[in-house]
Amino acid sequence: MIDNQSIYLALSAVLFIIGAAGAICRRNAIVVFMCIEIMLAGVSIAFVTFSRASHSLDGIFMVLFIMAVAAAEAAVGLAIFVLMYRKHGSIDLDKFNLMKW
Amino acid sequence: MELVFLLICGGLAVVASLLVIFARSTLHSALWMVVAFFMVSAIYILLHAQFLAMLQIIVYAGAIMMFILYAIMMLNLRHEQDDAVATRVSKVVGVAALGVLFLELLLVGMRHGLLALQGPVTDQMVQSYGRVAVLSNFLFSEYLLPFEVASILLTAGVVGAVVLAKRVK
Repeated sequence: MIDNQSIYLALSAVLFIIGAAGAICRRNAIVVFMCIEIMLAGVSIAFVTFSRASHSLDGIFMVLFIMAVAAAEAAVGLAIFVLMYRKHGSIDLDKFNLMKW
Repeated sequence: MELVFLLICGGLAVVASLLVIFARSTLHSALWMVVAFFMVSAIYILLHAQFLAMLQIIVYAGAIMMFILYAIMMLNLRHEQDDAVATRVSKVVGVAALGVLFLELLLVGMRHGLLALQGPVTDQMVQSYGRVAVLSNFLFSEYLLPFEVASILLTAGVVGAVVLAKRVK
C-alpha cells in the first residue's frame, strides 16, 4: 500500500532528476538555470512533506531560505549571463570550457 | 480527494518540467517553467503550507520568472536555438547515473516508518492561532538569525548584480 507521503516524495525525486538531467544535457545557460530551479522545487517539496509529517515548521523555514537564496542567485546569475553575452556574443555553455580537463 | 488532486497537480508539474527541458525555444521553456511553478504551489497547498504557496507564486512565478524573461528579451536569444539534447558520451553517462540515483531516492521514499517524530506544532496550536501566526512566531524568535542572514544575502545579491552588469567604460 502506497500512502500519500510516498507519492509526494516520489514526485520530489522525479522533479529533482528531471532538473538534473536538463542541467546536464542542455547547453543554453538560461535553460540550465531554470533546470536548477526545478531541482530546488523538488527538494522544497520533500522538505515540506517531512515538515508536515513530523508536525514541525523546520522544513517550511528551510524552503523559505531556499527561496531567498534562489532569488539572490537569480539576480547574480542573470547578471553573469548578460556579461557572458556581452563578452562572447553567446551563452552556449559548451563554448565556456576553460575549466574542463 | 487529496490523492486525486495530488496526482493531477503532480502529473502536470512533471509534464511542465519535461517541456522546460525539451522545448526548442528558450522563451517556451520559460513559459512552461511558470506552469511548473504554479503546479508546485498547488502541491504546497495540498501539504497545508498555504503561506509558502503564496510565496511560491509571488517570488518564483512572479519575480524570478520576470527576471528570466527579461534576460531572454535583452539577450535576444532567438538565433541561438541549440539542439535540445546534445548527444555526448559524458552526458549519456551522467543521465544514466541520475537514473540510478532516482531509483535510490524512490526506494528511500517508499519506506515506511521514516517519521516517528512529534514536533512542537500541534493541530490545536494551529487551529487556535492560525498558520501564519505560528509561522511568524517561530520566524522571529527561533529563526531570527537565519532571517537576518538571508536579508544580508539578498542585499549582497542585488549589489553584486548591479556591479556585474554595469558597463565598464
